[in-house]
Order: sequence, then C-alpha cells, then structure tokens
Amino acid sequence: MRALRAFVLRVAGLFGRSRRDRDIADELASHLQLHIDDNIRAGMTPDAARRVALIKLGGVEATKERYRDQRGLPMLDTLRQDLTYAIRVLRKDPGFTCTAVLTLALGVGANTAIFSVVNAVLLRPLPYPGADRLVMVFATNTRTGDTADVASHPDYQDWSRAHSFERMGAFAGGGVTVAGAGDAEFVSGMRVSPTLFDTLGVSPTLGRGFTLNEQAPGAPHVVVLSDGFWKRQFGGAADAIGRELRINEAPYTIVGVMPPGFRVTANSAGELYTPLIADPDRNHGYLRVIGRLRPGITTGEAQAEMQVVTAQIAKAFPKSNSRVGANVMPLVDALAANVRTALFILLGVVGLVLLIACTNVASLMLARGAARQRELAVRAALGAGRVRIARQLLTESLLLAFGGAVVGLVVGSWTARGLVTMLSASFPVPRIDDTHTDLWVLGFTLVLALATGAIFGVVPALSSSSPQLTDAMREASRSTTGARAPRLRSGLVILETALALVLLAGAGVLLKTFATLRSTPPGFQSDHLLAADLRLPQPRFALRVDRERFYDTVLSRLRETPGVRSAAFVADLPLNGGSDGLGFHIVGRSDPAPGQSFQAGFNTATAGYFRTMGIPVREGREFADADRGGTPGVIVINETAAKRFWPDRSPLGERIALPRETRVPTTSHERDSDPDAAPVILTVVGVTGDVRHEGLAVPPRPEIFLDAMQSELPWPWSVLAVRTVADPESLVATVKDAARTADRNVPLLRINTMDGILSRAVAGPRVYATLLGAFAALALALAAVGLYGLISYTVSQRTHEMGIRLALGAERGEIVGLVLKRGLVLAGIGAAIGVVVALATTRLLSGLTAGVQPSDPLTFAIVTVVLLATALVASYLPARRAGRVDPMTALRAE
Amino acid sequence: MAEKADVWQGTLALMILKTLETLGPLHGYGIARRIEQTSANHLSVNYGTLYPSLLKLEQEGYIASEWGVSENNRRAKFYRLTRAGRKQVEKEAREWERTTAIVARFLWPGEPSR
Repeated sequence: MRALRAFVLRVAGLFGRSRRDRDIADELASHLQLHIDDNIRAGMTPDAARRVALIKLGGVEATKERYRDQRGLPMLDTLRQDLTYAIRVLRKDPGFTCTAVLTLALGVGANTAIFSVVNAVLLRPLPYPGADRLVMVFATNTRTGDTADVASHPDYQDWSRAHSFERMGAFAGGGVTVAGAGDAEFVSGMRVSPTLFDTLGVSPTLGRGFTLNEQAPGAPHVVVLSDGFWKRQFGGAADAIGRELRINEAPYTIVGVMPPGFRVTANSAGELYTPLIADPDRNHGYLRVIGRLRPGITTGEAQAEMQVVTAQIAKAFPKSNSRVGANVMPLVDALAANVRTALFILLGVVGLVLLIACTNVASLMLARGAARQRELAVRAALGAGRVRIARQLLTESLLLAFGGAVVGLVVGSWTARGLVTMLSASFPVPRIDDTHTDLWVLGFTLVLALATGAIFGVVPALSSSSPQLTDAMREASRSTTGARAPRLRSGLVILETALALVLLAGAGVLLKTFATLRSTPPGFQSDHLLAADLRLPQPRFALRVDRERFYDTVLSRLRETPGVRSAAFVADLPLNGGSDGLGFHIVGRSDPAPGQSFQAGFNTATAGYFRTMGIPVREGREFADADRGGTPGVIVINETAAKRFWPDRSPLGERIALPRETRVPTTSHERDSDPDAAPVILTVVGVTGDVRHEGLAVPPRPEIFLDAMQSELPWPWSVLAVRTVADPESLVATVKDAARTADRNVPLLRINTMDGILSRAVAGPRVYATLLGAFAALALALAAVGLYGLISYTVSQRTHEMGIRLALGAERGEIVGLVLKRGLVLAGIGAAIGVVVALATTRLLSGLTAGVQPSDPLTFAIVTVVLLATALVASYLPARRAGRVDPMTALRAE
Repeated sequence: MAEKADVWQGTLALMILKTLETLGPLHGYGIARRIEQTSANHLSVNYGTLYPSLLKLEQEGYIASEWGVSENNRRAKFYRLTRAGRKQVEKEAREWERTTAIVARFLWPGEPSR
C-alpha cells in the first residue's frame, strides 16, 4: 500500500516540475539561512558563516538532482528526455523521417489490413453463447478423399450418442419458394434438426422451436421464421404464431420466430426453418452436423472418439459405411475453410513485406548512424554511457515505429476496405463484412510497432553506440568509419532482395496459374451465352410430364424470339457449382467388383443442349426433340466416359442399366422412389467433347447425360442456357419473361452470362495473384529503394576516391561499371538466396487454389530477371552520378 | 572531520522519525543538527541525502510538511510526524533492536545480549 502510494505520488511528481523545483530551491535557501544564522550566533563573521554553511551543505545542484530523482521516476524522466531529444532530432531531418515513417506505414498498413480481415473471419468468436465449444462434424470418405462431406441421417443419429458432445444438431440448406401475392418468392430455407437451436444455444424469441416428433415423415408441417422474414412479411406482429404460410405449395403453421441476427452458419442467412425429415437411408448424405463439446473436451479428444464411433458404424453397415469416417473441426474454422489457408498465407506475405520495410529503415538508420558518428562521439566523450546512447537511438527507432503505426493504421483501414470489397466480390467469405478496426486490431498494430521498432532499431543502436572516440573526432566530416556499417547494410540489402524475390516468385507462380487456367479451354463456347438458374418447386414438378410441359413452353417461346439462336435446359451447368454422381451397370458386362457399380458424373439435359453450349458432338447424335417419355431411353456420354468404359470399341448402341436404388437427388421431404420399379435401361446415342465441369483446374471426369424429357428423377434445379445472336446481356429481360409467363411459380434465382461464370471460376487465382502481385510489387519497390540508398551512400562516401581514380586516368565508364557491379553483386546474392527459399515455400501456394505449379522454371527465371533489372536501375542512378564526378571538385572537397 | 561517520541510508529514516517524535514539528536544518548533536557529533548528516529522505518519507505518508516560520522569524518548511509515522517509529525501533541483538550475538558470542 505504502509503496503504491509512493509510486502514485512519484508519477504525479513527473508533472508540475517548475513549481516543485522552486519549492526545493526555497527549502535549501532557508536551510542555508538557518545555518548562517546559527554560525553568526556562534560568533563567526557573516562571510565566514556563509562560507562554512555552504561547504557543509555541499553541492546544491547535486542535492537538487537527487531530490528530483526521488520526487519523480528517474527512468521515466530519462525517457521523457530521450523522447524530447528524439523528436527534435527527427524534426531536423524531415526527409529521413518521412521516408522511414512512410516505409513503415506501408508495411504496418498491409499487416493491419490483413489482420483485421483475419480477426473478423477467424478470430472473433461466433455469435453464439459458448461458441468456442461448437464444432462441425463432417463425414469423410476415403474413396473420394473428401474430408468435409455431408452425413446421412442415421449416421448423424449414431454420432450424436458420442460422449464428447453435450448436444448435436444437423441442418440441410436449400431454398424454398413461398407463395406470395405476386410472383413466387424464392427464399433461403433451412431444414434443421429439433436439437439444432439448443446446440447453438439460441432459442426462439417468440413461440417455440421444433419437437422431436416433428422430424418424422408425415408430421404436421411447421415452420420457424427468421426475425427478418417475420418483420418483412408480418410486420413483426406477435399473432403471426399459429398463422399459415404456403411453402413449396404446401401449408405450414408458423410456430416460432428466431432472434434478430440469428444464423445457423455465419455465412448463410436462413429466412425460414423447417424440421429436418429423417431419411433412414445411410447412403443419402445431405446433412451438415454441428456439435457442442462437453466442457473440458478438446477437438482432438472428440475426433478420437468419433474415430471409434465411425469404425463401429462401418462394422455394422459395411455396405454403406465402410469408407465413411468423421472429421471434427472447430466451427469457426469450418465456416471459413475456403479462405483460412489463404488468409494465413497472406498474413505471412505481409509479414515479409514488413520485414523488408524494417530492413530498409534499419539500413537508413545505419547510414544516419554513420553520419551522426561525430555527434555520438561528442556525447560519449562528455560521459554518456554506451547504454544511454543505445537507449537514445532505440527511443528514436520506437518513435519512428509508432509514427509508422499511426499512419499505417490509416493505410491499413483503407486497404482492409478494398480487400473486403475485392474478396467478397469473388467468393463468399463468412463474416468478412464485420471487418473493422477494433481493440484487437489496435493492439496488434501496437505490438507490431513495438516489434518493428525493436527489430530495425537494435542493430543500428548497438553498432553506433560505441563509437571509436578518437577516430570519430579526428576524422571530422570525412568519415568512412570502418567497413562495419556498410557491410551490415550490404547484408540488409541482400536480405531485402532475397525476401522480395520470394514474394515475386509467389506472385509469379499464382499469375502463371491464373494464366494457365484462363487459357484452359473449358470445352464449351462461353461467348454469346446466357444462363438462368431456375428452381422447379416440389410437388408441382414432381412428375415428369409437368416438367416436360414447362420445358416445352419456355423453349418454344424462346426459339421464336428474335436474337435467340438456340436454347436448352440442363440440370447442372458446368462451373456453376452443382454436380452429381451416378452409379450404373453396363448391360452384358460384369460390374467392376461384386456389389459395386461403375461411377460417372451425372447430368440431365434437353434437346439441343450441346449445340447451345457449343460442345462438339464427336460421334452419333445429341438429344433430339423426338426423344420423349414414350420413346426408348437414350444417353449421351463424354469422350472421357467413352474411353473409360468402352476403351476398345465405339460406345454407340451400348446400353447401361441404372440400379433401382439410384440416388434420387431431391430436396423434398418425401422421397418418391418406388422400390419395385424395374431397372432403367438406357442406350448410348452420342459421344460429345469433354467439358471441365467442376473447375478449370480439375481434369474432365466421365459424364453421362440423361434426356431431361425422359428422366423420371424429380430434379429441382434447372439451368436455362440460351445462345444469343447479339450481346447476351440484351436478352436478360426476354429470358426472365419467358420463364415467368410459362409458370409464375417458378422462381428465377439468378441470371448470368457464361463469360461471367467462366471468369468467376478463375476468381480465386485472380484475386490471390492480384493481392500477392501487389504485395510483391511493394516489396520490390522497397528493396529497390534500399539498394538505391546503399549505393548512393557508398558513392557519396567514395567521391574522393573516384576523383583520384579519374584524375589518374580512369575512364568514366569504368567508374560507372564499378558501382553497377557492386549493386548487381548484392542483388545477385540476394536473388540466389531468394530462389532457394522460394523453391521451398511456393509449394504452400497450392493451398490457395487448384492447379498451382510451385517451381515452374520459366516463372522463376522471369522473376529473377525482373528483380535484377530493378536492381540495375536502382544502382544505375547513383552510378551515373559517380561517373560525373569532377575530379577537381572531389579532390578539393577535403 | 575524518573520523565522522556518514549516516547509513536505512538508519537515517529512523533517526528522522525518532527526532520528529521527540521534538515535534521541525525543519530540515533542525533535524540535521539534532541528529548530529544526539550522536555527540560522531555523525555527519549529508544534506544531499537528507532532503531526498524527507521527500521519500513524505511520499510514504509517514511525515507531512508545511511552510512556517522558525523561532527566529525565518521562513522554513516544517515536517511533522503523521499517525502512520508514529506507528512506523515503533515498528522500526523494534526491528532495529532485534537486528542489533542478533548482530551482537555474532560479534560477542557467550556474552548475554545487551
């Protein structure tokens, strides 16, 4: 307590110095006076009295100094002195100060920007109580290598008995159509298990959640509304509970309303929640599973238990589950899985940029340190200790670092805003809109500033704080004080160049990836092509004839429209995100293994689809208008499928059989598969060119197309592809209109040009290449400035020597060459080190996007040339100056 | 002069407190003189340490100060013991006694402690 009181008073003692200084001066004066009085009383003469008293009192100033030390905190006092001095010194050299602060601001800003995105996306807790205990439990499949697969309902139920979890809930996404007054509205719906809200720890603000019996097939239809939907559709009226809503053309009773801002996963805004209907089929994966860990249980422990649980399930149901495992991942990571690696790589990249910035400033400080040698020597000669001088220099560094951090914070918040716009325009990133400068970001920047200040300040502080006094004083203005500082600076420049090369190589590799993908033929003609995503709601389109009628109406209308070359429907458009697989048998051939079927990608399309897309027909024909419900079932396969399944003959006329238990893709609650139906036999009528369906970097898979007019599968998604004569954008309204007039209950989800879809398919590599390119350019510029600075410094130091050389008959070209050589040697060493490091690190970039070739020799060659060319320019400017030295002036200078 | 010992830092505080306890409010010069006199001039108070010591005691709340007028009409800063200071004197005196007793046992073993 006493110590605290004393400390507080001493901190207070730092202020109001002059008043307190007067006070002690008065007290000492009064002391002296009392002493003199005493001495006079003892019989001394006034003069002697005064002299004796003064001697006894000792050094008044020394006493005052000790008094001051006791009054304040000497450490803080010194700090204040150092700061005042540092500010004065930095103000005297605005060129240096601005360069250093700006360099640091760029480095710190880049870091702050990336960190604020990381903070929003990965670090800030999810908006659920006890969110750190929430995990996502994915299914894994050793056959496909998928580690984030959907789970089947029986699997989910078995999983939820694991002891590691307090609760488990499941959900499946999928839009629903809500009948309104006008056109059908398509809203984002979510089918959730009755336990999901509890698992997340959120309960409805109004009404109730779901009960366990409501997940049974045939249970009464109930729905829980999101707060947004409730306010929009019902004006926030409390009596909405119990009212009816027509969803997918069936009546649903409203039983509850969720609180505002509630979302099942952070990036999907569900509007309506309906109970998940249990599908007893273990083959049907459609669920995302969220678990709440028991307190004290780690993700690793839960994972270990799930391994045991899934092994037991696999043993009990080998047919469906032999390859199925589970993958437990913290929810916050699972949600951001697509950008997690990217963000960490970017964080590493900006870390390197900052390191370069630090190196640059350190180099600047060294140069300044050399110029200040004399000043420091004088201070040392006057008795300043080595520590004291080092501390002074370090204070200057920290001050610069804080200046850089403050400016960097501004730069960073701008950059972050640009980053958010850029990333969210390219692909969905959960919670990225929450990016803002909060206390964590401020703290991060502060720590960064301290660290950078320490990094770039320590080297110069140590190397300049022990000047060789006599040397420094004697050499006066012309100082080439030892080779130490330049050698250190050369090392720093080499380091910078190496780091810049690593970043350049990374950017180059990504750029190459982007270019490769961009030039990969997708297998279709993307120009003059429009794609409209429609949804055929159940149960209106449960029957084939209903879909056939809709398709016919839309297509015949469009085919009569001027400007439309052709039009067709397809279930899954290439590069549009959707894809499905199919297991089938080949008639007259044994299965690949007993109980197993052949596997291929699976799609349905109407007549003219391949012509519309510009996909070439290699053999036979594509679907025709004559292929209808009553006619023999036909399929079209792609070249890969032809080569894979009929390598030795033409597949035309070959037949396949779809097993009865074929997965019927459906988002309706009831599955209308008839177990007694006979297997469907289909004949191959055509072979078409390969299409990159799942991504430009993914090699084509074998694909089988069914005729949409013949297929009985109630597929809810459908894409209308329209090839236009003129600009596809001009037909957007026409296409929308055609779909709406055919059936106003069919919502149009989105409409895009195929060129747009294609460019979205390369959005990842493009964004990452742009970002890394920008940071690499920054790094290169900083490194160039560093090199320029060093070479200029060397030139200015050696002006005298150059003058002598010229006077002795050296050619100006030789001088220029000499300086250039020095720059290039440094850059060359840096580049060589950089190449080695880059070879080891560009592999990391494969985590960013598919199709990365980490150590492409051409890319490495190009970036090395770019770096050396930059180095050449950076050293040429000072070299030219060296060549222009007038020998007379140079010699006279001293 | 040469044989005069400087007062140790730690004991100076105790001497100041004890002086103030005995004599009541007193100025810095008075305290110094009193300590020197009490020690029969064996001790010399260094003013360079006296005033910082006074400040420290004041910061710790054992003494308080205010400007006043001395017996012969000189302006001077007077220090007085606070309530906490009074307790501190007792405490430190006890501790001092104990310490010296222990040291004594080392220096003159066998003799009864004084």
